[in-house]
Amino acid sequence: MRERLLPHFLLVPAFLIVLATTIYPLAYSLVTSFREWDLTKQRRPGDFVGLGNYLEAATESAFLNSLWVTTVFVVSSVVLTLVFAFSMALLLRRTGRLHTFTRIILILPFAMSPALIGVSYRFMFNPEFGVLAKGLGQLFPVLEGIPWLADPDLAMGILVATDVWHWTPYMTFMCLGGLASIPKETEEAARVDGASNLRIIFEIVLPQMKGVLLVTAVLKTIFALKMFDQVVTLTGGGPGISTETLAFFIFNVGFKWFDMGYASALAWILTLIMMAISAWYVRMLLSERKVVAA
Amino acid sequence: MRNQILWLVERALLLVISGIVIFPITWMFLTAFKQPRDAYSLSLDFTPTIQNFITVFSEPWNLGDMVFNSVVVAVVTVAISVPCASLAAYSFSRFRVRGRKFLFFLILSTQFIPAVVIVLPFFLMFRSLGLLDTRIALIIVNLAIVTPFVIWMIKGFIDAIPVDSEEAAMIDGASRLRVIKDIVLPMAAPGILTSAIFCFILTWNEFLFALILSRSDAVTLPVGLVSFRTERGDLWELMSAAGVMITVPIFVMALFIQKHFTRGMTAGAVK
Repeated sequence: MRERLLPHFLLVPAFLIVLATTIYPLAYSLVTSFREWDLTKQRRPGDFVGLGNYLEAATESAFLNSLWVTTVFVVSSVVLTLVFAFSMALLLRRTGRLHTFTRIILILPFAMSPALIGVSYRFMFNPEFGVLAKGLGQLFPVLEGIPWLADPDLAMGILVATDVWHWTPYMTFMCLGGLASIPKETEEAARVDGASNLRIIFEIVLPQMKGVLLVTAVLKTIFALKMFDQVVTLTGGGPGISTETLAFFIFNVGFKWFDMGYASALAWILTLIMMAISAWYVRMLLSERKVVAA
Repeated sequence: MRNQILWLVERALLLVISGIVIFPITWMFLTAFKQPRDAYSLSLDFTPTIQNFITVFSEPWNLGDMVFNSVVVAVVTVAISVPCASLAAYSFSRFRVRGRKFLFFLILSTQFIPAVVIVLPFFLMFRSLGLLDTRIALIIVNLAIVTPFVIWMIKGFIDAIPVDSEEAAMIDGASRLRVIKDIVLPMAAPGILTSAIFCFILTWNEFLFALILSRSDAVTLPVGLVSFRTERGDLWELMSAAGVMITVPIFVMALFIQKHFTRGMTAGAVK
């Protein structure tokens, strides 16, 4: 009897943690999202307002701006990270001392605190004494004296750069794992037949990597949607509201204006977006699996 | 000839990649050892000083308190989540419990929830419980992020251990708990250690929760960075010194588990 219940007992502690720290707060914020609760005015939660908070979002330009900013950020960051990660994995899958060295070095960005990455890029792009701002100015006179982080597009570019710098190594390792698992025979046969390297990569390696690349894309999309730290430490959402991502906007609504009801509704909108994207990817992945199996 | 050029290009690319990775980190380390006036110049010709480290550890910055908070929060989070997650991971890996798939999916899907959704209700709860700005609050919310991740990672490691020796021991009459203690734990130890270090890194670098839930007493290192933005402007040399303090322990750990590290972070994902 004891033996039979053991599998369940083993799950209990972890499940209680997840229940208390995730499921319960989620339910709490869902309920709050249907209420009016402005902490600056009321200590206790106020009346239920139905979908009021959600409707408020639909018409607020700051929210729509944050959706747009998030889209630009996520798309550029995911595409760039994937392209770099896949190319780097192709480079790194061979053996050699420099290869090994690079692989070890690649662990560092992932281990580095994202908040600190934001701070250090802010320092490097400071127009007066930032090493990259000055260095690029010296190398390319056109770039001399550009106020990097004060320009909306460039600020977004640097924000994306910090994220790509942070995540490319992790994604490279995932691609390396994928490359290691595909059989070498077809590739070698094609090489014997005189196919060029590029053709081998595009026609043999890439199709077999589809599944891994999809998983990588899902994960990277989720991470990009959640990205928050660098917005605070690099741009502060600025200049203006040009780098105010949805996560940062929710943070402002909740902890600058203390509008808990509205912030909860916004947070749930973000959650739903993430769920929808994950579900879509999972479906693509499953149909992909079937094709491979057949 | 063509091969030689390719060989050169490949090496050059690898060097460029390493350079892009190392440069920002190196620049921060250099700045941390510069005097304030050197920090604002690009010169590499400076007399190194440890004054910045002395400054950040004394009034009014008190980086020591933040180091203490970061260590306590990360260590306690690891100490709670890793044992609980190991048991769950073993169960998920070895037993066909009813609803197992659903439960595992439920736990994994919590990873897809933005932290900001979780922190709002926690802020309200801690506020009414008087737990704002305490280390306990930070530990509780960090468990939310870390536990599902660790379950997933450790399950990957346990899946890779063959069941044969476990079954043999059971046939010899050993109880399941004994098997876990004497056979599975020793074999899974490297994987569990790797997961623990991962968990430590995630908690150590965590920023959003600490930013919202701490004010002065429980401030951790990443949030402490923001305090070097003063009315006098950003104090880069002090920020860099604090940055070195955040980075060094994590880099040491990451390099220590380097071999398992890449396997651990990709094992579950690729499968």
